[in-house]
Amino acid sequence: MKTFIYLIKRNIKVYFNDKGLFFTSLITPLILLVLYATFLANIFEDSFVSIFKDISISESTITALVSGQLISSLLAVSCVTVAFSSNMLMANDRITGAINDINVTPVKRSYINLSYFLATFISTLIVSISALVLCLIYTSVRGYTYSLGDTLYLIWDVIILTLFGSSLSSIINYFLKTQGGVSGVGTIVSAGYGFICGAYMPISSFSKTLQKILSFLPGTYGTSLLRNHALNPILKTIKYLPSSVLKEIKDGLDCNIYFFDNIISIKVMYLTLIITIIICILIYLFVSNKGRNRK
Amino acid sequence: MNEVIKINNITKSYGNVLAVNDLSFKVKKGELFSFLGINGAGKSTTIKIIVGELFPDHGEIKVCGKDIRTDEDEIKRKIGVVFQDSLLDKTLSVYDNLKYRAALYGITGEEFKERYKRLSKIFSLEDICNRKVNTLSGGQRRRVDIARALIHNPEILILDEPTTGLDPGTRNSIWKIINNLRKKENLTVFLTTHYMEEADDSDYIVILDKGHVIGEGSPLELKNKYAKDMVIIYNVKEEDIKKLKMTYHKIRNGFKIEVNSISIVTDLIVKHKDIFKDYEVIKGRMDDVFLSATGYELEEK
Repeated sequence: MKTFIYLIKRNIKVYFNDKGLFFTSLITPLILLVLYATFLANIFEDSFVSIFKDISISESTITALVSGQLISSLLAVSCVTVAFSSNMLMANDRITGAINDINVTPVKRSYINLSYFLATFISTLIVSISALVLCLIYTSVRGYTYSLGDTLYLIWDVIILTLFGSSLSSIINYFLKTQGGVSGVGTIVSAGYGFICGAYMPISSFSKTLQKILSFLPGTYGTSLLRNHALNPILKTIKYLPSSVLKEIKDGLDCNIYFFDNIISIKVMYLTLIITIIICILIYLFVSNKGRNRK
Repeated sequence: MNEVIKINNITKSYGNVLAVNDLSFKVKKGELFSFLGINGAGKSTTIKIIVGELFPDHGEIKVCGKDIRTDEDEIKRKIGVVFQDSLLDKTLSVYDNLKYRAALYGITGEEFKERYKRLSKIFSLEDICNRKVNTLSGGQRRRVDIARALIHNPEILILDEPTTGLDPGTRNSIWKIINNLRKKENLTVFLTTHYMEEADDSDYIVILDKGHVIGEGSPLELKNKYAKDMVIIYNVKEEDIKKLKMTYHKIRNGFKIEVNSISIVTDLIVKHKDIFKDYEVIKGRMDDVFLSATGYELEEK
């Protein structure tokens, strides 16, 4: 067990010490921040103002809603893209040959494989929880403070989404054996995930066909969970909001996600993600154990 | 038990490529064993089989009397490997590298600190312990590589071209450390190298070509079999050399004569004391043994 813990520690330390790997993993969240700072925040603010034009609503509530969108988007991308980058260590160890130095030790191969997964989970969690703390401080400064319960929900969502990112990246990164493959997957995930999870633009603004396709991706539910727990508490503070208007707002913000015209409940979202995580971990352990061919 | 590695008729193929072909040899405890061969001769595959990274298709391999298929963990604790390229974590410090690698053998806490202290002394790591591996010179990095390979007190140290790319001074200092360890701790060293002068100090040499042994023995046995000895006679006239009735080559201030055995030189000296006043007898070099055994030079020509 001690050996296993040291192996995880080694993986985490290599990731945080490798400046290139660490900063690359922050690219997508940083792009998102830049997009918010330059125009997305204004767009969302204008849209909230127009939605609530007939309702008396304070400016701080509008600000909180925009911040809530930023928090949920930022966490939705960082939990997955940071996990992919952090898990590149597994591929890098294979490319540099460091894995050979580990393989000549008596540590079981399944422990080595599992250590990459757990190290990725912990590293990503450290980055994402740090991001969450910064976001909570930011929203607090901007006039809205989340309750302890809401904060715990957000932490729980981050944990679930980080587990999802870690398990999915373990399967994909396991097959990377060249620097080209690492760069390719890194670029695709960094550039693409922000769009398909609805972090840059709400999924509700996409075409119906694309929305249907995205409803099959578990990551979509991860974003929606964060949206719900980041925006619902703020929406609840708005008095005299007709339920039809509230539903429309939730639809527009991706708090409501539809699977063939049925709204998916929060419980089902969690269940979908948890089942996906379990399946991904089992697939990873299966392929990584099968992958050792000494014959 | 005297034999720490015993390989019997092992064969290993990658698809249609036969990497190791009916290979057999033994490595005795405490000896410096050189495993020579051109690139692609099957050296790396054999090492991978010894450390349990690959299983042979046929044949038997025993390390310290244990079978790699059944006693993998035990064998891995008895072997330390220095790879051709440094495989340490470049972004971690020397101390962290050794700490995390030691933990993979279950060595942590005080036990690690004690071993680190000892190795730090042997390999002069005190001044570089907090430096990241990617900031070290080639020689410093090699010292750390060897310290890492010895962190779990192995009985066998496998050195895969350990001094390639190092300057002669650094090579010399690394060999001093290894030889000291051999003497003090009866460490068995399994060496692959392209520097034949390193192989010259071996107790036993196996030369590999196309996956099987083409020559083996002590350096002396191999030199006697594959390399010609040489006598260089200085400050004599050419007409005197002609009296020896041997084929000779003129060099700057003397003549060079190649002979098949040293007894021929002895006979010449006894018969022509007047000619042999300033001379030197040079045994065949390991370079010649290697080239002659592998036929590499002929192929190149």
